Parts: sequence; structure tokens; C-alpha cells
Amino acid sequence: MNLKAILKTATITELSAGLKNKNFSSVELTTAYLERAKALNDKTNAFITIDEEFALKSAEKADELINKGKQKPLTGIPLSVKDNICTENIKTTCASKMLEDFTPFYDATAITRLKKQGAVIIGKTNMDEFAMGSSSGTSYFGGVKNPYDLTRVSGGSSGGSAAAVSASMCVAALGSDTGGSVRQPAAFCGITGLKPTYGAVSRYGLIAFASSFDQIGTMAKTAEDCGILLNAIAVKDEFDATCHTAPFKNCLKDMEKGVEKLKIGLPKEFFGDDISGDVKSAVFNAAKTFEKMGAEIVEVSLPDLKYAVAAYYLISSAEAASNLSRYDGIKYGHRSKTGKSYEDIIKNSRSEGFGDEVKRRIMLGNYALSSGYYEAYYNRAVKIRQKLKAELDDIFKACDFILTPTAPTTAYKIGSFDKNPVKMYSADICTVTANIAGLPAISTTCGYDKKGLPIGMSLMGKAFSEATLIRAASTFEKVFERREAQL
Amino acid sequence: MFDIKLATHLAELSKISFTENELNKIRGEMDKIITLMDTVSDFDCTEKSSTNHTVRLDEIRQDIPLPSTPRKDILKNASEKDKKAFTVPKVV
Repeated sequence: MNLKAILKTATITELSAGLKNKNFSSVELTTAYLERAKALNDKTNAFITIDEEFALKSAEKADELINKGKQKPLTGIPLSVKDNICTENIKTTCASKMLEDFTPFYDATAITRLKKQGAVIIGKTNMDEFAMGSSSGTSYFGGVKNPYDLTRVSGGSSGGSAAAVSASMCVAALGSDTGGSVRQPAAFCGITGLKPTYGAVSRYGLIAFASSFDQIGTMAKTAEDCGILLNAIAVKDEFDATCHTAPFKNCLKDMEKGVEKLKIGLPKEFFGDDISGDVKSAVFNAAKTFEKMGAEIVEVSLPDLKYAVAAYYLISSAEAASNLSRYDGIKYGHRSKTGKSYEDIIKNSRSEGFGDEVKRRIMLGNYALSSGYYEAYYNRAVKIRQKLKAELDDIFKACDFILTPTAPTTAYKIGSFDKNPVKMYSADICTVTANIAGLPAISTTCGYDKKGLPIGMSLMGKAFSEATLIRAASTFEKVFERREAQL
Repeated sequence: MFDIKLATHLAELSKISFTENELNKIRGEMDKIITLMDTVSDFDCTEKSSTNHTVRLDEIRQDIPLPSTPRKDILKNASEKDKKAFTVPKVV
């Protein structure tokens, strides 16, 4: 069997069947993915760490489980994990100089769940430093390149996970989504990305950026594969008090039902002048496809969307300023060699360890929280958050989900936004609302622009409606002709 | 206006030091960022919302003592330590 050829289009379901039928072993499969990942990493910079030894040991254990008839959906399946999710004895750097040498002594709950199924983790993926960015260009280890065009960004912050899946360096991956960091890179790299409801997946072991927004998400080439991963990791966890006591039992139920009779809202504010023509027409065409398949399309409105980006950046930066105050260079993380006093060491370690974007967010967060500005910025942003959530709750009384672009444009040239952070922040307009309201959203490819770059559309629904979103995205994927990246 | 005085104050709160050039650069960037953040000033805040809490805590675990993380694990990632503790310059 030519495994190299299979990898380029394989899904978890197909690989799992191949393992069950003994067409190949997990060791053979893992070896093939490792070879491809190592060969393509120079081009894409998708991985910060590839742990060959750990991956092959995991694959051997998975083969034993399969031989004993104890196979689960992820047993023996090679996956990758964003480098802000703690993995026992494997470096977890957050793509920062601050954590360049940090090796956790424990697994995040999501990793424990993957290991429980016998999944094979082949490596840790590149990202924006501390997940702050939308291009993966703020990584201390260099930016990630888009497999569809190596001169363009992968999107971010889970750009390494997106590029690794897109380039078939692994079959699926975990990312994290604070303001769109799973969905936007999924759109740029032509794959599917799912941001679950806040509280569906434990944040224990996810290195904190903005705790009331952060959520671990799943990335793969199909919505169904995203659901398989989500089923594995969504579980009540006493280590995270915000983790829901009873997340869904199976987010892949009723997959055969299609989209008939579903009501899909098109919020007009998501189709303004900032959205490129190619993106608009691809999403409108997708709406027509849903309509042909039996769904009903209705126009809806989210009047306060215009405040979403500012509210998101104010609250998330305030939380980041607080969360990142733990990096003092003393307990763990980069410690400066200069400075004589305790205070000097903290300041110098932080100044040397954090990159420019992280410093900007900490400064912004402290600005929003400081005396004289708190009421005008932070408190106002919190009220906007409540209002947006209420507006969305109203929409979901009448609609099963809303359909929007995932990003205003397709992947842009590397370096385009380097000198203009405001422009990059503004481009998050399509994704931040799901995080502001804690709602689930899935992005899948719905077209290609004139240059052949993928265009993503997002489906966002009410809390814990993942099953409906996955079913609808999967139904669309079955009639959409996806193009693989040519690497 | 995001001036140098404000930038210096925030750098101090953030425990980050900047050279003069760096401070001038970040002052300019922050000025543009705050202009974007000023969008929130147009929002009508008179409408009362039911709560400021967006994160729901479903069920807090019982307060039962469990074994602590072993000291050797806690110290593992510290760059300067002795057998029992993190080490820092003398404070008092």
C-alpha cells in the first residue's frame, strides 16, 4: 500500500478503518507522517518540535491496543498539537523566547483525553507568540508559511496547526481560539476549524491568554474529523471550574439528516465594504447551495457588531495583562542574566522574553484597567459584550445558525501587516463575536479566489449546538470540490 | 493623546523596560491602537444589562485537600534554584 499517496487526502475515519483492517500499522502510518512532516517543515515552518521518538513509542502502544481489539476512533492516529497546550516531557514554548526552554511536568486535560484513546502526537505546532496575532508571524521561531502559497501567511494564531493539516504533515490537530485563532488560519489554509462553546473543553493545561475567551479547538480536513476530535476531548473536568458539567455526548449524531428545514441567518453587517468581493460572492454562493439542499435563508442583523473588535481587544488585553504577570523569570521561563535586584530581574526578564506584539497587548490591557480609563474602556467593553450576546441570543431564537465570512480576505503576503497592528486587529471582525458571546463556530472552505487561495465561511450557532454546525458544514463539504495544497 | 508620560507609566505598571527609541515607537503604535479602541465611546451605555459576568461557573469542586505537586517538579523549570527553593537576589 502506498501510504505516501494516501496521506494527501486521508481523513481520520479512513485511516482508522485502514488500521482496523490491518492495511497498515500505526507505526507505518506514523513513520510516513513523520517523514512528510520533517521534509516539509523547512518550507512551511509549521512545527516548533517534532518528537519522533515519542510518536513512534505511542504508535507501538496503539498497535498493541488495535491487536487486542481495543481500538477507539483516535487509536493510532497521528495528530499535532499547538505549542500552547501543555504536554508532559515535551517542550511547550508558546512560540516565545519567554518559554523557549519550558518543559511541562503534566499534560493538559485535552492531551490526557487524546492519550486515553491511544492517539499519536507527532509534534508541537508553531503559532503567534502567546496566541496573540492573526498571521503566526509573531512567533519567536519565525512565521508559518501558507501551503497554498509559501509567500503568504498561514493565518493565526494556530497557523502551524492549520498549515500542518493543510500540507498533510498530520491528519488533524488541536489549536486554540481566543478571537478566531482556529477558524481564521483554517480558512487561510483551506481546512476546517471548529471553535467549541466556551466551557465545552477544559482549559486546564492551555497556557492562558484571555481566560474568559480561550477555548481549545479542533482542526482537520473535514467537519466530521473535527467532531471526532471534539468528542474525544470534551469532558467535564474538575481542574477547570468553567468547564461545563455535561458537554454533549456525541457531536456527530444525526449526520445523515443534512440541512433540510434548517433556518440560516445572513447578518448583513458581516458583508460590508471591508469584505473582499471574492469572499462575499463565495459565501453567498454557499448560502445558495444550502438553500438548494433544503435550508431556508433569512436576513438578520447584529447592529452592534461595529463595536466588537474594540470590545474584544480591550477585554482580552486586560485579561492578558493579568495572566502574563506570572512571567517573572523566577519560577519558570526566561530569566535575564542582568540586573542586581529582584525588581530588575523581573523587568529585564520580561523585557527580553516578550516580543513586540505581546508587549503591546500588555500595555493596552494595563491602559484599559488603569485608574482614569477603566470606566471609559474596560467597563464599556464589558457592557458591549453583554449587548452583543443578547443580540445573538435573539437571532438564535429564529435561526439555527448564522453564516458569515471567516475573514475579510484570503491569505495575505507575509509582512503586509507588520507595521500596522491596527489593520490586523480590524481584520478580526468576522471571528471575535463567537468568543465574545462564548458560542461555537466552525469554518470550512467554500471557494477559492482568483489566485487559487482558499476562502472560508463560518457557521455560528447557540451554545452547545456543535452537532448542528458540524452536520451542516459536513453536508456542504460533501458537495464542494476541495482542492489540496500542492506541496 | 497617548504621550510619552503615559507610555512610561504603563511600562512601569507592565514591568517592562524600553529604551528611548523603543518607547517612542510603542507610543506611536499605542496612539493608533487607542484610536481604534475609542470606537467604544460611541456605544450607548444607558441600557442596563442583567449582569457583568459572562463566564458561568457550573459546579465548583469540593474543597478537599489533595497531594501537592512534588517540589522537584515545581523547581524543574526554574533557571536559578537550590535544593528546596527558587533563588533571587537578597530583598531585605
